[in-house]
Amino acid sequence: MTAHVAETNLALYVSGDVSLWRSALVSLHLAQCSRCRNRADAYRSDRTQIQRIASEMPVGVESEPDWDRLAMEMTANIRVGLAAGECVAPRRRKPVTLGWRPAAAMAGLVVVLASAWWLNMPPSTTQALGRAMTAIWHGHGSVMQEERGLVVEATSSGIELRENGGTLGVSQGAARPLAVSVSVQGSASARYINADTGQMTITSVYAQ
Amino acid sequence: MRSKAVLITLAGVALYAQTPSLKIDLPSDSPVTLVSVDSGGTDASARGGAFFVDVHAALQLRNSSQRRVRAITLSVVSQEVTPGGKGSVSVPSLDVAPGEVFPLGVDLRLLRPIGSVSGTAVEVKLDGVLFDDLSFYGVDKLHSRRTLTVWELEARRDRQYFKKVLETAGRDALQKDMLDSLNRQADRPQPGVQMVRGRATNADPEREVSFAFLQLPGAPVEPTNGMAHIAGNEARAPRVEVHNRSERPVKYLEIGWIVKDQQGREFLAASMPADVNILPGRSSQVTQDGGLRFPERTAIQSMTGFVSTVEYGDGSYWIPSRASLNDSKLRRLVAPSPEEQRLSQIYLKKGLTGLVEELKKF
Repeated sequence: MTAHVAETNLALYVSGDVSLWRSALVSLHLAQCSRCRNRADAYRSDRTQIQRIASEMPVGVESEPDWDRLAMEMTANIRVGLAAGECVAPRRRKPVTLGWRPAAAMAGLVVVLASAWWLNMPPSTTQALGRAMTAIWHGHGSVMQEERGLVVEATSSGIELRENGGTLGVSQGAARPLAVSVSVQGSASARYINADTGQMTITSVYAQ
Repeated sequence: MRSKAVLITLAGVALYAQTPSLKIDLPSDSPVTLVSVDSGGTDASARGGAFFVDVHAALQLRNSSQRRVRAITLSVVSQEVTPGGKGSVSVPSLDVAPGEVFPLGVDLRLLRPIGSVSGTAVEVKLDGVLFDDLSFYGVDKLHSRRTLTVWELEARRDRQYFKKVLETAGRDALQKDMLDSLNRQADRPQPGVQMVRGRATNADPEREVSFAFLQLPGAPVEPTNGMAHIAGNEARAPRVEVHNRSERPVKYLEIGWIVKDQQGREFLAASMPADVNILPGRSSQVTQDGGLRFPERTAIQSMTGFVSTVEYGDGSYWIPSRASLNDSKLRRLVAPSPEEQRLSQIYLKKGLTGLVEELKKF
C-alpha cells in the first residue's frame, strides 16, 4: 500500500484547490484507503459546518470576504492610528544649527577668557594646576593639594608672606640676607648688613 | 564727554595711588626724634585688588634721651588687620650716646588694599627702644622688648668672648675665630621653610615622630618629651613637655626645632616661642597649631629640640653660654648671633684692626 495522502493535500483536495493531476491521484488513493477516505469526509463535514456558521454572520460580513478590500481598509486604519499618535506625542525640538561665523566668534571668546583666567592666576596656583594636570596625565593616584591659607616662607633669598596661593606681602632688602628664620607662631625675619656702615638691620613680617 | 571725565578721574586716582605717602609717627615723649627722612624710593604698584607698597626710606634719628640707645624697632604698617601689611625694622648692636644722630634704613614691601588709597599709605611707628641699662621704652606691640633684650644679651656675651680671646690668646686667635665663624656661616644649611596654619594638606599618610633633645648646660628649663605630626615633607602641631628646674617661675621660652631628612641632612627649621607660666619644679606643655613645610622630596626622618631662650617671671633672661653653643650640632646648624655676624662682617670689610677697634668701643 502506498503512503497516505498528506493532511495539506487532503484539505486542498476537499476544497477543490489542487491541480487536476494531483486530484486524480488523491481520488485513486481514497478509493483504496479507508483511513484517508474517512479524513476527507471529516474535512467535507467541517467545510459544510463553516459555511453554515458564515451564513449566520452579521450583514456586511460575507461568507466569502473580499480580502483585497479588507487589506486596504486595514492599511488605511493603521495609517489613521499612526497619524493620531503623531498628534499626541511630545513635540520634538528642532535642532539649533550655528553658522561657522558665530561658532568661530564663540571659540575665540572662549580662548580669550581662558587665557585671561590663566594669566591672572597667581603663579603658585598656575604651577599647582600644572602639577596636578601632569599628575593626572601620568596616571598618579594622588595629587598634591596646595595650601590655601596663610604661609610664611623663609628662603636663602629672603622672606615672604603669602595667602590663598598668591603673594600678599614680601619683605626684603636689595642685598642677600645673612640669615633668615621662621617662628611657628607666624613670623619670619631676615638679617641684612649695610656694607658701608656695618649696621645690622633685621626686617620681619608678621602673619598676625 | 562724560566718558572723558571718568577717564581723567581714574587716571588721577591711579597717579595718586602710585605715589604713596609715608608717615613717621613718633610719640611726643619718644626718646628718639626724627631729624630727617628721605623716602624718595618709596613706590607702589597695583596687583589685583591690592597695592604692593615698596618702602625705601632713609631716616636720621636723634637720641634725645639721657641714656645710650642699644637697639630700636620701628613698626611699618600699611594695614592693621589683613596679613601682609605689617612688618618691622630692627637695629640691634647700636651704641648711640645722648644727643647723637644715627641712621636707620627701611626697606620693606608691604600690601595695601586698593580700596584704601586715601590717606596715609604707610605708617612708621616706634615700637620700642632698648637702652644700655636694659630698660625699655615703647608700645611693644611686636614684643620688641623681648627680642631686643635677647639680642643685646647675646651681643654682650659674644663681645665679651671675643675680647677675652684677644686678651688671652692674641690677635691671631681672634682672627682664627673670625674665619671659623665666617666659614660656619657660609656652610650653614638654610633650605626654604614655610610656616603654614593648621593642617597643610597632602596625600601622604601622617605619623607621629618623637623629638630628641639637646640638653644645654645651665638651661633652667629641660624638655622631657615631645612629638609632632609628620606627613612627607610637612611637620605640624608640635607638642613638647618641659620641666622648670630653676628656682624661679618661667613665663616665656623658645625651643629651637632641628629637622633631619632622609639623606641625613640636618638644619634648623624654626623656633617655637611660647608664653607659659611654669612654677619652680613644675612641668608644663608647649603646643603650637602651626606647621612647617619643607621643599618637595624632603622626607622628615627625625627631629631634635633644644631650649634657646628663657624669660623668668621677673623679666630677666637666660640665654645659652658660648660654651653651651660649642655643641657640634648647634655650631653647625644654629646661626650666630646678630652681633657675631656684624663683627665678622666688620672683619671682612676692615680687617683685624677694624674689628679690634670696634670691640674697644664697648
